[in-house]
Amino acid sequence: MWSYVLRRLLGLVPVLFGITLLVFLFLQLIPGDPAQAILGERGTPEQLAALREKLGLNKPLYVQYLTFVKNILTGDLGTSAVSTIPVAEELKRRWPATFELALAATLVAVVLGIPVGIVAAVRKNSILDTLSMSLSLVGVSMPVFWLGLLLVYLFAVNLHWLPTGGRLSTDLAIDFRPLTGFLVLDGLLTRRLEVLADALRHLILPALTLGTIPLAILTRITRSAMLEVLSQDYVRTARAKGLAERQVILKHALKNALLPVVTIIGLQFGTLLGGAILTETIFSWPGIGSYIYEGILNRDYPVVQAGVLVVATVFVLVNLLVDLSYALLDPRIQYR
Amino acid sequence: MKRKILLGLVVALGLGLAQKTLVFGSNGEPVSLEPGNITDGISIYVQRQIYDTLVDFKPGSTEVTAGLATSWFSSPDGKVWTFRLRQGVKFQDGTELDAEAVKFNIERWWDPKNPTRIDAAARYEIWPELFGGFKGDPGSILKDIQVVDKYTIRFILNQPFPAFPAAIGSGYFGIASPAAIKKDGAKYGSPTGSAVGTGPFRLVEWRPGEQVVLEKNPTYWKKGFPKVDRVVFRVIKDPAARLAALKAGTIDFTTDIPPANLKDVEADRNLDAVFRPSFNVGYLALNPSHKPLSDPRVRQAIAMAVNKKAIVQAFWGKLGLTDGHFTPPSMKASQSPKVTDYEFNPQKAKALLAEAGYPNGFDLELWYMPVSRPYFPTPKEIAEAMAADLSAIGIRVKLQTKDWASYLADRKKAPGFQAYMLGWTGDYGDPQNFYDPHFACPIADLFDSAGKPLCVKELGDILTKAATTPNLEERKRLYQQADEVTFNLALRIPIVHSQPLLAKRKNISGWVPSPLGSESFESIEKR
Repeated sequence: MWSYVLRRLLGLVPVLFGITLLVFLFLQLIPGDPAQAILGERGTPEQLAALREKLGLNKPLYVQYLTFVKNILTGDLGTSAVSTIPVAEELKRRWPATFELALAATLVAVVLGIPVGIVAAVRKNSILDTLSMSLSLVGVSMPVFWLGLLLVYLFAVNLHWLPTGGRLSTDLAIDFRPLTGFLVLDGLLTRRLEVLADALRHLILPALTLGTIPLAILTRITRSAMLEVLSQDYVRTARAKGLAERQVILKHALKNALLPVVTIIGLQFGTLLGGAILTETIFSWPGIGSYIYEGILNRDYPVVQAGVLVVATVFVLVNLLVDLSYALLDPRIQYR
Repeated sequence: MKRKILLGLVVALGLGLAQKTLVFGSNGEPVSLEPGNITDGISIYVQRQIYDTLVDFKPGSTEVTAGLATSWFSSPDGKVWTFRLRQGVKFQDGTELDAEAVKFNIERWWDPKNPTRIDAAARYEIWPELFGGFKGDPGSILKDIQVVDKYTIRFILNQPFPAFPAAIGSGYFGIASPAAIKKDGAKYGSPTGSAVGTGPFRLVEWRPGEQVVLEKNPTYWKKGFPKVDRVVFRVIKDPAARLAALKAGTIDFTTDIPPANLKDVEADRNLDAVFRPSFNVGYLALNPSHKPLSDPRVRQAIAMAVNKKAIVQAFWGKLGLTDGHFTPPSMKASQSPKVTDYEFNPQKAKALLAEAGYPNGFDLELWYMPVSRPYFPTPKEIAEAMAADLSAIGIRVKLQTKDWASYLADRKKAPGFQAYMLGWTGDYGDPQNFYDPHFACPIADLFDSAGKPLCVKELGDILTKAATTPNLEERKRLYQQADEVTFNLALRIPIVHSQPLLAKRKNISGWVPSPLGSESFESIEKR
């Protein structure tokens, strides 16, 4: 297995190279001069020229690309052209926020999606099935932006049950020094229960918003995987043996239906780790998605290049973990 | 019983002494808290709380008043400006504000070779824009800075610059502690560094992407201010989310509310709509490089054909006004009483077109911005309305747009766009800041028939003279003249002066928004 992991990791190198090249070229395709984008309505020709010089934009393309790759190889992800903060520093700082949210959203999807999918499959064509499938269709098609605002207006503005956005209330955020940046964890580690509670309260709406689409997808995948397994011979045999229905479903059917489900969970989690631009924007969540998005708007090349590279790496690694988990679920799978 | 009373006392005291925190919903986060290095509105807004400038502006106006300098005067030829500084003012790090400290700050902005500049980060773009260039540049207005005595500083200029106090007092040029800059080096003004001024609040923490926390400056020179203990700039970029946070009470006040939300704000009994006095202009530029537009009659016909009043009513409502002046209403003194506006009159416009030789109209490419700006919140819809008006006099409009960076850059490439929408928000309260970037010779984004940057000599001469004459009355007269000339030229037809919409919760008082875009929070109270 280890040689498999090593091979996969080595395979990562050309993939990442490809990504650097793609990101670099795509950025060149965006029309308009980054220097002009940064200076806005203002900017004399001299200022534009000076900024282009500073950003290295007047060098030939291949030189710009090689500099970028060379810097990455030496561990330098560059410095934001707008804020002048090193990109690595900013990504490191924002990473926990994105990870926490992605994890919470995935939890929402898994905890709700798998049971609902199972019930829908077992009670195929029942009202429950129709209802859950219709809701999941709504979930997949509902614009995240709209859903987020709807939840905010309902639960934060009108009912005052939950906060409108951010990761902590203003007062707590002023005096609390995070240890790891994962605020829920930090609340536990520092035994500040009010921080833990506050962080959880702030997490609910964004996690629900972000989790809706994976939840809907997961419900549908679980249902179809279960339906397929439930029609297999060994399930009939299990039933014929007189096993309790619960045991048939949870032990015999579910375990075998989990393979595609785990794949989807992994893929979705990997996608969510790339940052959720809309959710992060509505809930003022200081994560990676909004950072890269701002970078694109500002033509902040270093931010976009390094940001996408990091996100892609994480995505590939999560997929590797998913692949490895197959062996746990299905002993017939072996890695060579 | 005694214990109960004691407890009650403690609680009462606690309530009375509870820290008052003002939470501002910020539509973005600052780029840098180093003065003079940056022009973005949010950076300046935060800086405005930390730093003072040499001169200040009366609340809600562009009228210059005492700041760190208590008085100032110029030599008869207008080339030497002397400022007397307020005595006993301390920076938040305990060091003293004196003429040397002011000189230190100015030299960093002015001199590109200054060793205390933060090299990797430094843009310092605003200095050359307002003062003609850096040290050593041929256009530099500043020639020398002299410390006369501990509390007197003198600026020697290469040419008279009557607007000098207003320009040096603009929010970009907060005076920072030299000791703090030297100590922090490249980190100064960044999230990991300090930002030290003499202003009402001092920086406690800047958590990028989240919030900037400021605390009352206990040694602030203005006694009795600020009125609250803490200000938090909470970053909420999305306008809808910001309004939701205001409604929920997560934030106390905010800016940049989309005009469409005015009704929503007014309908909420916990909120007040607040209007920032207009300090901008949204205009329609008509480029003489395009043949029909080289005839002033055609341009005037367009000005008459566009129903500006209806457009402003439809797209801005209470938040906009239209007139014939390129400068906003807060600059009334420099506006000519003779200039009112072109009357909306399609028949007359059509007759003018026929007179110019276009009885059947012509084709026109009208470019609208791809982004929303305070002066044009919905550019496409506004462009469509103008196109409909123009079609009534036979001008067949083709609407065009492209991405923002290209839009800004391409309009300056000859022959430029035929007609385009753009606008300007002022930096400081002087008409020069509106006229020069748009009408001084050569004009960067309008071209003549030969494809050369346009120069209207008559107007150029007036502006040069106005920019350099030290006589204030003469200056006023010259700008009134410029107002008349630009009106008749109709090269840039002012469509709107918009008032940005702000909002606050009812328990907030004492907030007087400045037309200049940022004001001190020192007088704001929270009940």
